[in-house]
Amino acid sequence: MELKKLIRQPANLFLNLLFPAVLTIVFVFAFADPELGMSINSVVPGLIVYAVIFVIMTIAQSFSTERQEGLLKRLRITPMTSSEFMGSQIITHMLIAVLQVIVVFTLAFLLGFRPDSGIQGIFLALPVTAIFSLSSVGLGLITATVSKTPEAATGISFVFILPQMFFGTFIPITSTTEQIARFMPSYYLLDALKMIFEGDWMNPNTFLDLGVISMVSTAIVVIGIVLFDKYGSE
Amino acid sequence: MTWRGIRLSSDIRSALEQLDRRELREIAKQRKISIPRSWSKTLIVELLALNVSRQDIPTLGTKPRETRIKSNGVPAIIMKDLVKRFEDVTAVDDLNLEIEQGELFSLLGPNGAGKTTTINILSGILEPTEGTAIVAGFDVTKNLEEIREIIGVCPQEAAVFKFLNARENIELFGSLHGVPGKELEERTNTFLELLGLAEASRRMAKGYSGGMLRKLNLMIALISDPQIAFLDEPTVGMDPRARRKTWEFIGSLKDQNKTIILTTHYIEEAEALSDRVGIIDYGRLIELGTPQELVEKYETKNLEQVFLKITGRRILEGI
Repeated sequence: MELKKLIRQPANLFLNLLFPAVLTIVFVFAFADPELGMSINSVVPGLIVYAVIFVIMTIAQSFSTERQEGLLKRLRITPMTSSEFMGSQIITHMLIAVLQVIVVFTLAFLLGFRPDSGIQGIFLALPVTAIFSLSSVGLGLITATVSKTPEAATGISFVFILPQMFFGTFIPITSTTEQIARFMPSYYLLDALKMIFEGDWMNPNTFLDLGVISMVSTAIVVIGIVLFDKYGSE
Repeated sequence: MTWRGIRLSSDIRSALEQLDRRELREIAKQRKISIPRSWSKTLIVELLALNVSRQDIPTLGTKPRETRIKSNGVPAIIMKDLVKRFEDVTAVDDLNLEIEQGELFSLLGPNGAGKTTTINILSGILEPTEGTAIVAGFDVTKNLEEIREIIGVCPQEAAVFKFLNARENIELFGSLHGVPGKELEERTNTFLELLGLAEASRRMAKGYSGGMLRKLNLMIALISDPQIAFLDEPTVGMDPRARRKTWEFIGSLKDQNKTIILTTHYIEEAEALSDRVGIIDYGRLIELGTPQELVEKYETKNLEQVFLKITGRRILEGI
Protein backbone atom coordinates (compact mmCIF):
# COMPACT_ATOMS: atom_id res chain seq x y z
CA MET A 1 0.00 0.00 0.00
CA GLU A 2 2.88 2.37 0.83
CA LEU A 3 4.39 1.71 -2.59
CA LYS A 4 1.00 2.23 -4.24
CA LYS A 5 0.63 5.58 -2.49
CA LEU A 6 4.02 6.71 -3.73
CA ILE A 7 3.73 5.46 -7.27
CA ARG A 8 0.28 7.02 -7.78
CA GLN A 9 1.52 10.51 -7.03
CA PRO A 10 2.74 12.07 -10.28
CA ALA A 11 5.42 14.15 -8.54
CA ASN A 12 6.79 11.13 -6.69
CA LEU A 13 6.60 8.90 -9.74
CA PHE A 14 8.62 11.47 -11.67
CA LEU A 15 11.14 12.00 -8.90
CA ASN A 16 11.60 8.31 -8.13
CA LEU A 17 11.53 6.60 -11.50
CA LEU A 18 11.30 9.00 -14.43
CA PHE A 19 13.87 11.47 -13.08
CA PRO A 20 16.61 8.81 -12.81
CA ALA A 21 15.67 7.64 -16.31
CA VAL A 22 15.89 11.14 -17.77
CA LEU A 23 19.11 11.80 -15.87
CA THR A 24 20.66 8.63 -17.19
CA ILE A 25 19.94 9.53 -20.79
CA VAL A 26 20.97 13.19 -20.47
CA PHE A 27 24.07 12.64 -18.37
CA VAL A 28 25.35 9.72 -20.38
CA PHE A 29 25.17 11.87 -23.52
CA ALA A 30 26.59 14.93 -21.73
CA PHE A 31 29.38 13.44 -19.65
CA ALA A 32 30.31 10.03 -21.08
CA ASP A 33 32.77 11.60 -23.48
CA PRO A 34 36.45 10.73 -23.81
CA GLU A 35 37.17 14.43 -24.36
CA LEU A 36 36.00 15.01 -20.77
CA GLY A 37 38.02 12.03 -19.62
CA MET A 38 34.88 10.07 -18.72
CA SER A 39 33.30 6.96 -20.14
CA ILE A 40 29.83 5.56 -19.65
CA ASN A 41 31.31 3.08 -17.16
CA SER A 42 32.56 5.91 -14.97
CA VAL A 43 29.30 7.87 -15.16
CA VAL A 44 26.80 5.10 -14.25
CA PRO A 45 27.86 4.53 -10.60
CA GLY A 46 27.49 8.27 -10.00
CA LEU A 47 24.05 8.26 -11.59
CA ILE A 48 22.89 5.52 -9.25
CA VAL A 49 24.10 7.50 -6.24
CA TYR A 50 22.50 10.63 -7.65
CA ALA A 51 19.12 8.93 -8.00
CA VAL A 52 19.13 7.52 -4.47
CA ILE A 53 20.11 10.88 -2.96
CA PHE A 54 16.78 12.23 -4.22
CA VAL A 55 14.95 9.85 -1.88
CA ILE A 56 15.75 12.55 0.72
CA MET A 57 13.35 14.89 -1.05
CA THR A 58 10.66 12.26 -1.63
CA ILE A 59 10.56 11.15 1.98
CA ALA A 60 10.71 14.70 3.34
CA GLN A 61 7.78 15.71 1.12
CA SER A 62 5.83 12.55 1.89
CA PHE A 63 6.13 12.88 5.69
CA SER A 64 5.48 16.61 5.79
CA THR A 65 2.43 16.23 3.52
CA GLU A 66 0.99 13.42 5.65
CA ARG A 67 1.62 15.47 8.77
CA GLN A 68 -0.03 18.56 7.26
CA GLU A 69 -3.08 16.56 6.17
CA GLY A 70 -3.54 15.06 9.64
CA LEU A 71 -2.71 11.55 8.43
CA LEU A 72 0.21 11.00 10.80
CA LYS A 73 -2.04 11.94 13.69
CA ARG A 74 -4.69 9.54 12.41
CA LEU A 75 -2.15 6.74 12.05
CA ARG A 76 -0.98 7.38 15.62
CA ILE A 77 -4.48 6.60 16.88
CA THR A 78 -4.42 3.12 15.32
CA PRO A 79 -2.93 0.13 17.16
CA MET A 80 0.06 0.26 14.78
CA THR A 81 3.23 1.04 16.71
CA SER A 82 5.57 3.79 15.55
CA SER A 83 8.25 1.18 14.85
CA GLU A 84 5.85 -0.71 12.55
CA PHE A 85 5.06 2.56 10.77
CA MET A 86 8.70 3.54 10.38
CA GLY A 87 9.59 0.00 9.32
CA SER A 88 7.05 0.11 6.49
CA GLN A 89 8.40 3.49 5.35
CA ILE A 90 11.98 2.28 5.41
CA ILE A 91 11.24 -0.91 3.48
CA THR A 92 9.23 1.04 0.89
CA HIS A 93 12.04 3.50 0.26
CA MET A 94 14.65 0.76 0.15
CA LEU A 95 12.53 -0.91 -2.53
CA ILE A 96 12.33 2.36 -4.42
CA ALA A 97 16.11 2.66 -4.28
CA VAL A 98 16.40 -0.86 -5.73
CA LEU A 99 13.91 0.06 -8.47
CA GLN A 100 15.94 3.16 -9.25
CA VAL A 101 19.10 1.10 -9.65
CA ILE A 102 17.23 -1.22 -12.03
CA VAL A 103 15.93 1.74 -14.08
CA VAL A 104 19.38 3.35 -14.33
CA PHE A 105 20.96 0.03 -15.20
CA THR A 106 18.47 -0.92 -17.86
CA LEU A 107 18.78 2.40 -19.62
CA ALA A 108 22.54 2.56 -19.23
CA PHE A 109 22.79 -0.96 -20.64
CA LEU A 110 20.75 0.10 -23.66
CA LEU A 111 23.09 3.07 -24.08
CA GLY A 112 26.17 0.85 -24.08
CA PHE A 113 27.10 0.33 -20.42
CA ARG A 114 28.91 -3.00 -20.01
CA PRO A 115 30.46 -3.39 -16.53
CA ASP A 116 33.56 -5.60 -16.22
CA SER A 117 31.79 -7.38 -13.38
CA GLY A 118 29.00 -8.63 -15.63
CA ILE A 119 25.58 -9.40 -14.18
CA GLN A 120 27.04 -10.29 -10.75
CA GLY A 121 28.06 -6.68 -10.24
CA ILE A 122 24.51 -5.56 -10.79
CA PHE A 123 23.20 -8.00 -8.20
CA LEU A 124 25.82 -6.83 -5.72
CA ALA A 125 25.03 -3.18 -6.39
CA LEU A 126 21.38 -3.64 -5.41
CA PRO A 127 21.82 -4.51 -1.69
CA VAL A 128 24.67 -2.01 -1.25
CA THR A 129 22.49 0.76 -2.69
CA ALA A 130 19.52 -0.37 -0.58
CA ILE A 131 21.64 -0.04 2.58
CA PHE A 132 22.80 3.42 1.50
CA SER A 133 19.18 4.44 0.93
CA LEU A 134 18.75 4.26 4.73
CA SER A 135 20.87 7.39 5.00
CA SER A 136 18.57 9.15 2.52
CA VAL A 137 15.55 8.01 4.55
CA GLY A 138 17.18 9.37 7.72
CA LEU A 139 18.11 12.69 6.12
CA GLY A 140 14.58 12.90 4.68
CA LEU A 141 13.14 12.46 8.17
CA ILE A 142 15.45 15.12 9.58
CA THR A 143 14.33 17.44 6.76
CA ALA A 144 10.66 16.71 7.50
CA THR A 145 11.27 17.37 11.21
CA VAL A 146 12.55 20.89 10.60
CA SER A 147 10.16 21.74 7.72
CA LYS A 148 6.74 23.13 8.53
CA THR A 149 5.27 22.53 5.06
CA PRO A 150 5.91 20.16 2.12
CA GLU A 151 7.14 23.16 0.10
CA ALA A 152 9.69 24.00 2.77
CA ALA A 153 10.71 20.34 2.87
CA THR A 154 11.54 20.44 -0.85
CA GLY A 155 13.80 23.44 -0.40
CA ILE A 156 15.46 22.30 2.81
CA SER A 157 16.16 18.82 1.38
CA PHE A 158 18.74 20.44 -0.93
CA VAL A 159 20.87 21.20 2.12
CA PHE A 160 21.56 17.45 2.19
CA ILE A 161 21.24 16.71 -1.53
CA LEU A 162 23.64 19.31 -2.97
CA PRO A 163 26.79 18.50 -0.96
CA GLN A 164 26.40 14.80 -1.67
CA MET A 165 25.70 15.54 -5.33
CA PHE A 166 28.86 17.65 -5.77
CA PHE A 167 31.15 15.55 -3.65
CA GLY A 168 29.97 12.03 -4.23
CA THR A 169 28.52 11.39 -7.66
CA PHE A 170 29.91 11.60 -11.18
CA ILE A 171 31.07 15.21 -10.87
CA PRO A 172 34.89 15.13 -10.94
CA ILE A 173 36.58 15.96 -7.65
CA THR A 174 40.14 17.13 -6.99
CA SER A 175 42.44 15.84 -4.27
CA THR A 176 41.43 18.88 -2.18
CA THR A 177 37.69 18.44 -2.59
CA GLU A 178 38.13 14.72 -1.93
CA GLN A 179 38.94 15.62 1.67
CA ILE A 180 35.47 17.17 1.94
CA ALA A 181 33.88 14.31 -0.01
CA ARG A 182 35.08 11.85 2.64
CA PHE A 183 32.47 13.33 4.97
CA MET A 184 29.67 12.46 2.52
CA PRO A 185 28.04 9.00 2.73
CA SER A 186 27.57 9.10 -1.05
CA TYR A 187 31.34 9.16 -1.58
CA TYR A 188 31.65 5.67 -0.10
CA LEU A 189 28.77 4.28 -2.15
CA LEU A 190 30.30 5.71 -5.30
CA ASP A 191 33.67 4.19 -4.46
CA ALA A 192 32.10 0.81 -3.66
CA LEU A 193 30.01 0.76 -6.83
CA LYS A 194 33.03 1.64 -8.99
CA MET A 195 34.97 -1.27 -7.55
CA ILE A 196 32.00 -3.62 -7.83
CA PHE A 197 31.45 -2.76 -11.50
CA GLU A 198 35.14 -3.16 -12.21
CA GLY A 199 34.81 -6.70 -10.83
CA ASP A 200 37.09 -5.76 -7.93
CA TRP A 201 34.65 -6.51 -5.15
CA MET A 202 37.08 -8.63 -3.18
CA ASN A 203 39.25 -5.55 -2.74
CA PRO A 204 39.48 -4.78 1.01
CA ASN A 205 38.48 -1.18 0.23
CA THR A 206 35.09 -2.41 -0.98
CA PHE A 207 34.48 -3.95 2.42
CA LEU A 208 35.74 -0.81 4.11
CA ASP A 209 33.29 1.25 2.04
CA LEU A 210 30.48 -1.16 2.81
CA GLY A 211 31.28 -0.93 6.53
CA VAL A 212 31.22 2.87 6.43
CA ILE A 213 27.96 2.90 4.41
CA SER A 214 26.28 0.48 6.83
CA MET A 215 27.37 2.26 9.98
CA VAL A 216 26.77 5.80 8.79
CA SER A 217 23.41 4.96 7.17
CA THR A 218 22.18 3.13 10.28
CA ALA A 219 23.26 6.00 12.50
CA ILE A 220 21.58 8.60 10.27
CA VAL A 221 18.31 6.66 10.02
CA VAL A 222 18.20 6.13 13.79
CA ILE A 223 18.82 9.86 14.39
CA GLY A 224 16.14 10.68 11.80
CA ILE A 225 13.56 8.38 13.41
CA VAL A 226 14.26 9.67 16.93
CA LEU A 227 14.13 13.34 15.89
CA PHE A 228 10.99 12.92 13.81
CA ASP A 229 9.25 10.91 16.49
CA LYS A 230 10.06 13.50 19.15
CA TYR A 231 9.73 16.80 17.29
CA GLY A 232 8.33 16.17 13.84
CA SER A 233 5.26 13.99 14.08
CA GLU A 234 2.82 16.69 15.24
CA MET B 1 -10.62 -22.45 8.50
CA THR B 2 -6.93 -23.26 8.21
CA TRP B 3 -3.80 -21.42 9.19
CA ARG B 4 -0.44 -22.65 7.90
CA GLY B 5 -2.09 -25.90 7.00
CA ILE B 6 -3.50 -26.51 10.48
CA ARG B 7 -7.25 -26.72 10.93
CA LEU B 8 -8.58 -24.24 13.44
CA SER B 9 -11.73 -24.49 15.44
CA SER B 10 -13.80 -21.61 14.12
CA ASP B 11 -15.83 -21.15 17.32
CA ILE B 12 -12.64 -20.75 19.39
CA ARG B 13 -11.36 -18.27 16.89
CA SER B 14 -14.55 -16.24 16.80
CA ALA B 15 -14.71 -16.28 20.61
CA LEU B 16 -11.15 -14.97 20.71
CA GLU B 17 -11.97 -12.28 18.18
CA GLN B 18 -14.63 -10.96 20.55
CA LEU B 19 -11.98 -10.16 23.12
CA ASP B 20 -9.77 -7.10 23.20
CA ARG B 21 -5.99 -7.27 23.19
CA ARG B 22 -5.71 -6.97 26.96
CA GLU B 23 -8.06 -9.91 27.48
CA LEU B 24 -6.19 -11.96 24.89
CA ARG B 25 -2.92 -11.23 26.65
CA GLU B 26 -4.44 -12.37 29.94
CA ILE B 27 -5.35 -15.73 28.38
CA ALA B 28 -1.83 -16.00 26.94
CA LYS B 29 -0.37 -15.22 30.34
CA GLN B 30 -2.48 -17.91 32.02
CA ARG B 31 -1.41 -20.43 29.39
CA LYS B 32 2.23 -19.25 29.71
CA ILE B 33 2.37 -18.25 26.04
CA SER B 34 4.79 -15.45 25.35
CA ILE B 35 3.52 -12.72 23.03
CA PRO B 36 5.70 -9.84 21.82
CA ARG B 37 4.33 -6.37 22.64
CA SER B 38 4.33 -5.32 19.01
CA TRP B 39 1.97 -8.11 17.88
CA SER B 40 -1.34 -7.06 16.39
CA LYS B 41 -4.63 -8.47 17.66
CA THR B 42 -4.99 -10.64 14.55
CA LEU B 43 -1.64 -12.30 15.16
CA ILE B 44 -2.42 -12.90 18.83
CA VAL B 45 -5.78 -14.48 17.91
CA GLU B 46 -4.08 -16.72 15.35
CA LEU B 47 -1.52 -17.90 17.90
CA LEU B 48 -4.02 -18.47 20.69
CA ALA B 49 -6.45 -20.28 18.39
CA LEU B 50 -3.76 -22.89 17.93
CA ASN B 51 -2.89 -23.16 21.59
CA VAL B 52 -5.99 -22.78 23.72
CA SER B 53 -9.10 -24.81 24.29
CA ARG B 54 -12.67 -23.61 24.79
CA GLN B 55 -12.27 -23.73 28.58
CA ASP B 56 -9.40 -21.25 28.47
CA ILE B 57 -11.63 -18.53 27.07
CA PRO B 58 -13.65 -16.63 29.67
CA THR B 59 -17.40 -16.67 29.26
CA LEU B 60 -17.44 -13.03 28.27
CA GLY B 61 -15.80 -14.09 25.04
CA THR B 62 -18.92 -15.97 24.02
CA LYS B 63 -21.26 -13.06 24.56
CA PRO B 64 -21.77 -10.30 22.05
CA ARG B 65 -19.40 -7.41 22.68
CA GLU B 66 -22.26 -4.94 23.11
CA THR B 67 -23.74 -6.97 25.96
CA ARG B 68 -20.44 -6.93 27.77
CA ILE B 69 -20.10 -3.19 27.47
CA LYS B 70 -23.57 -2.55 28.77
CA SER B 71 -23.46 -5.00 31.61
CA ASN B 72 -20.40 -3.93 33.59
CA GLY B 73 -21.94 -0.60 34.60
CA VAL B 74 -18.71 1.40 34.42
CA PRO B 75 -18.90 4.74 32.58
CA ALA B 76 -17.31 4.63 29.13
CA ILE B 77 -15.50 7.89 29.79
CA ILE B 78 -14.53 9.64 32.98
CA MET B 79 -12.90 13.05 33.03
CA LYS B 80 -11.82 14.28 36.42
CA ASP B 81 -10.34 17.75 37.01
CA LEU B 82 -9.03 17.62 33.46
CA VAL B 83 -6.81 20.52 32.42
CA LYS B 84 -4.89 21.16 29.24
CA ARG B 85 -2.68 24.23 28.88
CA PHE B 86 -0.77 25.39 25.82
CA GLU B 87 1.81 27.84 27.16
CA ASP B 88 -0.40 30.67 28.49
CA VAL B 89 -3.69 29.42 27.01
CA THR B 90 -5.90 27.06 29.00
CA ALA B 91 -7.81 25.07 26.39
CA VAL B 92 -9.48 22.66 28.83
CA ASP B 93 -10.12 24.02 32.29
CA ASP B 94 -11.02 21.70 35.13
CA LEU B 95 -13.38 19.51 33.14
CA ASN B 96 -15.38 16.96 35.12
CA LEU B 97 -17.67 14.69 33.15
CA GLU B 98 -18.83 11.10 32.91
CA ILE B 99 -20.25 9.57 29.75
CA GLU B 100 -22.19 6.34 30.02
CA GLN B 101 -21.69 3.28 27.86
CA GLY B 102 -24.00 3.25 24.87
CA GLU B 103 -24.62 6.98 25.19
CA LEU B 104 -24.51 9.46 22.34
CA PHE B 105 -23.05 12.53 23.93
CA SER B 106 -22.65 15.83 22.10
CA LEU B 107 -20.05 18.35 23.08
CA LEU B 108 -21.11 21.80 21.97
CA GLY B 109 -19.30 25.07 22.17
CA PRO B 110 -18.12 28.06 20.15
CA ASN B 111 -14.91 27.90 18.10
CA GLY B 112 -11.92 27.44 20.37
CA ALA B 113 -14.04 26.34 23.32
CA GLY B 114 -11.88 23.23 23.87
CA LYS B 115 -13.99 20.52 22.18
CA THR B 116 -11.29 19.18 19.87
CA THR B 117 -8.64 19.43 22.57
CA THR B 118 -10.85 17.31 24.83
CA ILE B 119 -11.25 14.68 22.10
CA ASN B 120 -7.50 14.78 21.44
CA ILE B 121 -6.83 14.07 25.11
CA LEU B 122 -9.36 11.23 25.23
CA SER B 123 -7.91 9.62 22.10
CA GLY B 124 -4.35 9.90 23.39
CA ILE B 125 -3.10 12.46 20.89
CA LEU B 126 -2.51 15.03 23.62
CA GLU B 127 -1.43 14.47 27.19
CA PRO B 128 -3.46 16.28 29.85
CA THR B 129 -1.59 18.92 31.84
CA GLU B 130 -3.50 17.96 34.97
CA GLY B 131 -6.30 15.64 35.98
CA THR B 132 -7.40 12.23 34.84
CA ALA B 133 -9.13 10.88 31.77
CA ILE B 134 -10.32 7.27 31.76
CA VAL B 135 -11.58 5.64 28.56
CA ALA B 136 -13.29 2.25 28.93
CA GLY B 137 -11.49 1.78 32.21
CA PHE B 138 -8.08 2.69 30.79
CA ASP B 139 -6.07 5.73 31.82
CA VAL B 140 -5.12 7.82 28.77
CA THR B 141 -1.68 8.51 30.17
CA LYS B 142 -0.87 4.87 30.92
CA ASN B 143 -2.88 2.50 28.71
CA LEU B 144 -2.80 4.07 25.28
CA GLU B 145 -2.19 0.74 23.55
CA GLU B 146 -5.42 -0.69 24.96
CA ILE B 147 -7.38 2.49 24.25
CA ARG B 148 -6.32 2.51 20.59
CA GLU B 149 -7.75 -0.99 20.22
CA ILE B 150 -11.25 0.10 21.17
CA ILE B 151 -11.69 3.64 19.89
CA GLY B 152 -12.41 5.15 16.51
CA VAL B 153 -11.68 8.79 15.81
CA CYS B 154 -13.17 10.89 13.04
CA PRO B 155 -10.96 13.98 13.02
CA GLN B 156 -12.17 17.46 12.14
CA GLU B 157 -10.12 17.59 8.94
CA ALA B 158 -10.70 14.85 6.37
CA ALA B 159 -7.52 12.87 7.00
CA VAL B 160 -7.52 10.43 4.08
CA PHE B 161 -4.87 9.31 1.64
CA LYS B 162 -5.71 11.31 -1.49
CA PHE B 163 -3.89 8.97 -3.84
CA LEU B 164 -5.78 5.91 -2.65
CA ASN B 165 -9.42 5.27 -3.45
CA ALA B 166 -12.14 5.05 -0.79
CA ARG B 167 -12.03 1.28 -0.60
CA GLU B 168 -8.25 1.23 -0.23
CA ASN B 169 -8.34 3.92 2.44
CA ILE B 170 -10.94 2.06 4.48
CA GLU B 171 -9.22 -1.29 4.06
CA LEU B 172 -5.84 0.17 4.98
CA PHE B 173 -7.10 1.53 8.30
CA GLY B 174 -9.22 -1.58 8.89
CA SER B 175 -6.19 -3.80 8.51
CA LEU B 176 -4.17 -1.56 10.84
CA HIS B 177 -6.88 -2.22 13.43
CA GLY B 178 -6.57 -5.95 12.78
CA VAL B 179 -10.00 -6.44 11.22
CA PRO B 180 -9.93 -9.86 9.51
CA GLY B 181 -10.00 -9.86 5.69
CA LYS B 182 -13.49 -11.16 4.95
CA GLU B 183 -15.10 -9.14 7.71
CA LEU B 184 -13.25 -6.06 6.51
CA GLU B 185 -14.50 -6.50 2.96
CA GLU B 186 -18.09 -7.02 4.10
CA ARG B 187 -18.01 -4.05 6.44
CA THR B 188 -16.41 -1.84 3.78
CA ASN B 189 -19.15 -2.74 1.30
CA THR B 190 -21.87 -2.06 3.88
CA PHE B 191 -20.42 1.34 4.82
CA LEU B 192 -19.95 2.38 1.20
CA GLU B 193 -23.56 1.48 0.45
CA LEU B 194 -24.98 3.07 3.60
CA LEU B 195 -23.22 6.38 3.04
CA GLY B 196 -23.72 6.39 -0.72
CA LEU B 197 -20.09 6.18 -1.73
CA ALA B 198 -20.18 2.77 -3.41
CA GLU B 199 -20.10 4.09 -6.97
CA ALA B 200 -17.11 6.32 -6.35
CA SER B 201 -15.28 3.79 -4.23
CA ARG B 202 -12.72 2.92 -6.93
CA ARG B 203 -11.88 6.52 -7.72
CA MET B 204 -8.90 8.16 -6.09
CA ALA B 205 -9.95 10.32 -3.13
CA LYS B 206 -8.17 13.37 -4.54
CA GLY B 207 -11.09 13.83 -6.93
CA TYR B 208 -13.73 13.70 -4.17
CA SER B 209 -15.89 16.62 -3.13
CA GLY B 210 -15.69 17.92 0.43
CA GLY B 211 -18.80 15.98 1.41
CA MET B 212 -17.47 12.73 -0.03
CA LEU B 213 -14.19 13.18 1.84
CA ARG B 214 -16.16 13.71 5.05
CA LYS B 215 -18.08 10.48 4.52
CA LEU B 216 -14.86 8.61 3.88
CA ASN B 217 -13.35 10.23 6.97
CA LEU B 218 -16.24 8.88 9.03
CA MET B 219 -16.10 5.39 7.52
CA ILE B 220 -12.39 5.10 8.31
CA ALA B 221 -13.13 6.03 11.93
CA LEU B 222 -15.74 3.31 12.28
CA ILE B 223 -14.29 0.46 10.22
CA SER B 224 -12.77 -1.20 13.28
CA ASP B 225 -16.24 -1.43 14.88
CA PRO B 226 -15.00 0.60 17.87
CA GLN B 227 -16.65 0.47 21.27
CA ILE B 228 -16.20 4.21 21.60
CA ALA B 229 -16.28 6.63 18.67
CA PHE B 230 -15.13 10.25 18.76
CA LEU B 231 -16.73 12.17 15.92
CA ASP B 232 -15.32 15.67 15.62
CA GLU B 233 -17.68 17.69 13.44
CA PRO B 234 -18.32 14.75 11.11
CA THR B 235 -20.88 16.48 8.87
CA VAL B 236 -19.14 19.80 8.17
CA GLY B 237 -19.25 20.56 4.44
CA MET B 238 -21.97 18.03 3.66
CA ASP B 239 -25.10 19.01 1.77
CA PRO B 240 -28.37 18.64 3.72
CA ARG B 241 -29.22 15.29 2.12
CA ALA B 242 -25.81 13.79 2.84
CA ARG B 243 -25.95 15.19 6.34
CA ARG B 244 -29.33 13.57 6.91
CA LYS B 245 -27.98 10.25 5.64
CA THR B 246 -25.01 10.55 7.97
CA TRP B 247 -27.32 11.27 10.90
CA GLU B 248 -29.17 8.05 10.15
CA PHE B 249 -25.85 6.25 10.02
CA ILE B 250 -24.72 7.69 13.36
CA GLY B 251 -28.15 6.88 14.80
CA SER B 252 -27.72 3.26 13.74
CA LEU B 253 -24.49 3.12 15.77
CA LYS B 254 -26.40 4.17 18.82
CA ASP B 255 -28.71 1.22 18.24
CA GLN B 256 -25.64 -1.02 18.38
CA ASN B 257 -24.94 0.32 21.87
CA LYS B 258 -21.78 2.15 20.85
CA THR B 259 -20.64 5.09 22.92
CA ILE B 260 -20.41 8.13 20.67
CA ILE B 261 -18.90 11.47 21.52
CA LEU B 262 -19.92 14.01 18.93
CA THR B 263 -18.81 17.59 18.49
CA THR B 264 -20.77 19.71 16.09
CA HIS B 265 -21.69 23.25 15.15
CA TYR B 266 -25.05 22.07 13.84
CA ILE B 267 -27.12 22.35 16.99
CA GLU B 268 -30.10 20.65 15.33
CA GLU B 269 -27.79 17.68 14.70
CA ALA B 270 -26.99 17.46 18.40
CA GLU B 271 -30.64 17.87 19.31
CA ALA B 272 -31.75 15.14 16.93
CA LEU B 273 -29.13 12.59 17.84
CA SER B 274 -27.95 13.10 21.40
CA ASP B 275 -28.95 11.46 24.63
CA ARG B 276 -27.20 14.26 26.48
CA VAL B 277 -25.31 17.40 25.53
CA GLY B 278 -22.55 19.24 27.30
CA ILE B 279 -21.89 22.88 26.45
CA ILE B 280 -18.35 24.05 26.99
CA ASP B 281 -16.84 27.48 26.73
CA TYR B 282 -13.32 28.64 27.51
CA GLY B 283 -12.57 24.99 28.26
CA ARG B 284 -15.13 24.79 31.07
CA LEU B 285 -18.29 22.73 31.14
CA ILE B 286 -21.02 25.31 31.59
CA GLU B 287 -24.14 23.23 31.01
CA LEU B 288 -25.07 19.58 30.94
CA GLY B 289 -28.29 17.66 30.37
CA THR B 290 -30.61 16.10 27.84
CA PRO B 291 -31.69 18.44 25.03
CA GLN B 292 -35.20 18.45 26.49
CA GLU B 293 -33.99 19.32 29.99
CA LEU B 294 -31.97 22.25 28.71
CA VAL B 295 -34.79 23.57 26.56
CA GLU B 296 -37.10 23.48 29.58
CA LYS B 297 -34.53 24.97 31.93
CA TYR B 298 -33.82 27.97 29.70
CA GLU B 299 -37.45 28.27 28.54
CA THR B 300 -36.54 28.30 24.87
CA LYS B 301 -38.03 26.68 21.79
CA ASN B 302 -35.01 24.60 20.88
CA LEU B 303 -31.44 23.73 21.76
CA GLU B 304 -30.00 26.31 19.37
CA GLN B 305 -31.61 29.08 21.40
CA VAL B 306 -30.21 27.53 24.57
CA PHE B 307 -26.79 27.52 23.02
CA LEU B 308 -27.05 31.14 21.91
CA LYS B 309 -28.34 32.18 25.31
CA ILE B 310 -25.45 30.52 27.12
CA THR B 311 -22.62 31.33 24.76
CA GLY B 312 -24.00 34.56 23.36
CA ARG B 313 -21.36 36.70 24.98
CA ARG B 314 -18.70 35.19 22.74
CA ILE B 315 -20.79 35.82 19.67
CA LEU B 316 -21.26 39.42 20.80
CA GLU B 317 -17.51 39.67 21.27
CA GLY B 318 -17.17 38.55 17.66
CA ILE B 319 -15.21 35.37 18.42
